[in-house]
Amino acid sequence: MYNEIVMAGFGGQGVLLIGKLLAYAGMKSGLEVTWMPSYGPEMRGGTCNCTVVLSDRQIGSPISQHPHGLIVLNLPSLDKFENSVRKDGVIIVNTSLINRMPHRTDITAVPVPSNEVALEAGSNKAANMVALGAFLGATGLLEMTSIREVLEETFAAKPKLISINHACLSKGYEIGLARKPAQAAQ
Amino acid sequence: MAKKLMKGCEAIGEAAIQAGCRLFFGYPITPQNEIPEYMSARLPQVGGTFVQAESEVAAINMLYGAAGAGCRAFTSSSSPGISLMMEGISYIAGAELPVVLVNIMRGGPGLGGILPSQSDYFQATKGGGHGDYRLLVLAPSTVQEAADLMIDAFDMADQYRNPVMILGDGLIGQMMEPVEFKRGIKPEDLPHKSWATTGAKGRKPNIINSLHLNPEELERHNWDLYKKYQQMQKEVRHDTYNTGENVDVLIVAYGTVARIARTAIDSLTPKGHKVGLFRPITLYPFPSEALIAAAQKAKKVLVAELSTGQMVEDVRSHIAHLRPVDFYGRAGGMVMGAEELADRVEKLIAG
Amino acid sequence: MPKPIIEKDRCKGCELCISACPEKVLALSQEINAKGYFFPVIVQPDACTGCRYCLIMCPDTAIQVENKGKTTARSVALTQKPFSYCPGCTHGVIHRLVAEAIEGLGVQDRTVGIAPVGCSVLAYEFFACDMQQASHGRAMAVATGIKRGRPDLTVFTYQGDGDLASIGMAETVHAANRGEKITVIFVNNAIYGMTGGQMAPTTLPGQVASTCPTGRDVKLAGYPIRVVELLKELKTPAYLTRVSVHDPKAILAAKKSIRKAFEYQLKGTCFSLVEVLSTCPTNWGQTPKEACDWLKDNMIPYYPIREFKIPEAEEGDAHVQ
Ligand SMILES: Cc1ncc(C[n+]2csc(CCOP(=O)(O)OP(=O)(O)O)c2C)c(N)n1
Repeated sequence: MYNEIVMAGFGGQGVLLIGKLLAYAGMKSGLEVTWMPSYGPEMRGGTCNCTVVLSDRQIGSPISQHPHGLIVLNLPSLDKFENSVRKDGVIIVNTSLINRMPHRTDITAVPVPSNEVALEAGSNKAANMVALGAFLGATGLLEMTSIREVLEETFAAKPKLISINHACLSKGYEIGLARKPAQAAQ
Repeated sequence: MAKKLMKGCEAIGEAAIQAGCRLFFGYPITPQNEIPEYMSARLPQVGGTFVQAESEVAAINMLYGAAGAGCRAFTSSSSPGISLMMEGISYIAGAELPVVLVNIMRGGPGLGGILPSQSDYFQATKGGGHGDYRLLVLAPSTVQEAADLMIDAFDMADQYRNPVMILGDGLIGQMMEPVEFKRGIKPEDLPHKSWATTGAKGRKPNIINSLHLNPEELERHNWDLYKKYQQMQKEVRHDTYNTGENVDVLIVAYGTVARIARTAIDSLTPKGHKVGLFRPITLYPFPSEALIAAAQKAKKVLVAELSTGQMVEDVRSHIAHLRPVDFYGRAGGMVMGAEELADRVEKLIAG
Repeated sequence: MPKPIIEKDRCKGCELCISACPEKVLALSQEINAKGYFFPVIVQPDACTGCRYCLIMCPDTAIQVENKGKTTARSVALTQKPFSYCPGCTHGVIHRLVAEAIEGLGVQDRTVGIAPVGCSVLAYEFFACDMQQASHGRAMAVATGIKRGRPDLTVFTYQGDGDLASIGMAETVHAANRGEKITVIFVNNAIYGMTGGQMAPTTLPGQVASTCPTGRDVKLAGYPIRVVELLKELKTPAYLTRVSVHDPKAILAAKKSIRKAFEYQLKGTCFSLVEVLSTCPTNWGQTPKEACDWLKDNMIPYYPIREFKIPEAEEGDAHVQ
């Protein structure tokens, strides 16, 4: 098992957080993990991304030229990373803020109206969780229980947020599962 | 202690605590702000002291004072800040004080940029400041290794009464990986330093100094230092990957680039290419004997760095007469991708 | 009828114009601009009195005002490039004031500015005059070299509190004490902005920053440095003043002081330094409006706004009058 995932969006959309949850859950599942953020002044109000690598053996490069998975929460991120994704990869597209789907036909694109779904669940902040749920649904990369566990640890200081984040993860998961490509079942 | 997911910078900070260090002096600079930030929160919890210095010049001299008084202490910075510390580092080397320095490198020269780079190799390994002196330089390539080397660094500094530098880059500093702290040292268990300025009660006063106006005395001091640096040679450390048998290409890389090289090697192996990695962990002393042995089992050598070519000079000085040494570098904060490096290796194999 | 003209793609949606307007002419749009921000639109056109408070408060020079057939214009001493500052950061306001002083005095083509290390490191992209970029804290030393080499030039530095009062304090004190005939714009936002919110020498007691996570403890870090008060003890004549940019009236006063600081240099009088109290909404964790209010309620009591020193010759003049 070896998987590189890039998450990207505006600063403030919480892409670093879902990356951390993914890496942390991977670690709890006994995998080797790395999490690498973009950093620097470009983060000020601009775009922001992170790369997570999950592997069952020691990880070399923590950066990715051709990720297996991509989660994009805004349009500039789709523009920037679409072409980098590996053939047969998965792209989660936040259709609430992105008005196009990927041009690529050799990948699986999963449209997820993350902001709307999160709002329905009662949060204007948890669109990132919806997207993460969708990614896990579409790829089956990690067990949902491991993500749920680290979510509870991460939000231990803000217990009020836990149930709403669980709900957003679940809703996203269902959307992703419905689009799960056959070959991602492995 | 269970594994924790930590940024390289935070792991370095925690490792210092585990090494029994209770003093930090430093000044903010990207990409290592998480070190002073971590220390500012963590040190008070263990009865330690964090000081945000007014500048790197002040920070390094605070370190001089603290180390001279026999305390474990460290500072961290990134390239421009390390440049400012150079005079102080030279004094520390001259006065033979045990300190730990962390340089999380970014692209230069000048203000440069803030993204990962390895362009301070010369500065770290060849002196940097004035005078005949050397630092012990350790180059981690994982967060776990950064933590482990940080703890070792304090011990080495004490053993040789010499500054030890952890040389990482923005990627090592900013990346999160699982890390475990296996060794904890209590400050009260640290050996007593008889030379330190702890108050002259019951003994002759101790002087911390690097001035020797008498040239004969200064020459003697220089040769004594030289002897010490010779003794430090036994600290050489390196790591290899996939070098068991003869290889088509031996990649020589340290830190971040070494791990990128592993991924490149993993992608080349299924194609039938035999490619190995030689990774110096100590950059000074340089693991030259092991490098020569590894190079002899390779047809060609490729040095890969995040610079326009610095360590390659050391590699060439040891093996240029044995094997062709090629170089691949990215600079200014651009980090080579594994596929890019693999392409380069394939070209080299093709000849 | 007077009316604001909004260049919507310059806007970063900080809403400072909306809160500055005494007549509630403006409100936030429902759509986003090219940068992804909600921008102001005119909702009460008839209420506009042409007071220009929206223009004065805007940190991104995104607003001009049309009145009696005339329209204000962006200073030609600024380049066309949009400022790289966070939404609502008052660095942009101060840039505008400096540019207007340079333009107003007609010295744009013989001015050299020095960009520091800090959020305003890119100042060389925003001022339309010759610029040099200095290492952290050394702007006044660089300025000294320029001014001594070419005394006919108008030389200014633009520096943050970390740059000027921490790492560069020695250069600051000595440039002032030598009476270098330069103009210093000192932006005090009580924090290190560029590096992500560490404690500055001007961080207030109890104020939280990333290297004083429980608030500045004066027992460990001392009290914040009042730079103009410190420099005023030097005998060398100087123009030393403190202003603020938290509301339109304060900005108008700041504009006068900045212009005066340049005038003294042109007269060959003295070293002049204007400390400008400024906001950092991002690292203070506040909205732009909250940040302006926080400045007024917390910084001004500690950092009083007034002139601390004017050149001796003028003190004399004042006597005669
Ligand atoms: C020698 C050196 N040390 C540290 C830094 C990192 N650094 C960049 S900006 C800055 C401080 C910025 O704060 P301030 O001067 O208050 O300006 P602001 O960003 O708040 O406008 C620091 C410490 C550097 N670039 N060079």
